[in-house]
Amino acid sequence: MIGKKALIAIIVLVLISPLFGVILADIVGYHEPLDVAAEKLGLRDISEEIDWTPFYDYTVPGLPDTIGYIVAGFIGVGIILGIGYLLLRIAGKRK
Amino acid sequence: MHIPDGFLDATTVAITYAVMVVFMALALRKMGNTSREALSLSTVLAAGIFAAQMLNWPIPGGTSLHFVGGALAGILLGPYLGFFTMFLVLLVQCLVFHDGGITALGANVLNMAIIDVLVGYGMYMLVVKSLGNSRKTRMLGAFLGGWLGITLAGIACGLEIGFSPSFPLGITITVPVMGIWHAILGVIEGLITALTVDYLYPRLPHIQLAMTRGVGR
Repeated sequence: MIGKKALIAIIVLVLISPLFGVILADIVGYHEPLDVAAEKLGLRDISEEIDWTPFYDYTVPGLPDTIGYIVAGFIGVGIILGIGYLLLRIAGKRK
Repeated sequence: MHIPDGFLDATTVAITYAVMVVFMALALRKMGNTSREALSLSTVLAAGIFAAQMLNWPIPGGTSLHFVGGALAGILLGPYLGFFTMFLVLLVQCLVFHDGGITALGANVLNMAIIDVLVGYGMYMLVVKSLGNSRKTRMLGAFLGGWLGITLAGIACGLEIGFSPSFPLGITITVPVMGIWHAILGVIEGLITALTVDYLYPRLPHIQLAMTRGVGR
């Protein structure tokens, strides 16, 4: 289902992701345009108050942020590929 | 661009969820004859976009961005399978990582899986059909599709978070902020989209058909 080159590219992206998603973001201060607009309007993010997942914001309980970010990345990729595999099986059975 | 919980009022939540459900029903009908190859590519692309979105690009002294990928999905897979690809990414991000609120899932899907995908696909097809199919026009179409897709998605996001019956002037603040910043940062989205399309075009012959004939899968 998944090409070798595509798989390698995805693994590399996940492995280097903490460099951009955690380390640089902490140093420089990650600030999306959405954050800018929300601040001007005084909107309040209530995600943490109604949180339901142990992997909130790409963290894994008990792991440092950088390692947790990588593990979270592989969890997400695995779930997406798993759903795709199930859909392919369902589509195959229908045909 | 993932709107978290707490930013949208009830009316916006209801409208955006309704749009998401209607478009999903349409996409499922249109995807009835999707080939296994296209479905495989959709899944791999979803995994790749998920991983690419984890790479945030903080810009010192300014604002930040990450690749979104909706236009790329639309160009490679067409509007309906492109929607499904982005929906899969957004659903996993929301439910597993709480990246994007559950109340905002409809809005996030509308922005990144519908507007970004449709605009990216439409702009790409417009350029390739009107200027002819060549490497240059494909790259130009993909660049413009990536840039315009993210810019309009940003403006839509500004409308959604700025709209509130109790605070009707919100959009006069949020729309310019979102539109201007995304028009600037969207240049990088356009470049990544163009380079990815250029790389994949000769390597995925069955996708070349979708990208040149507008079949979509």
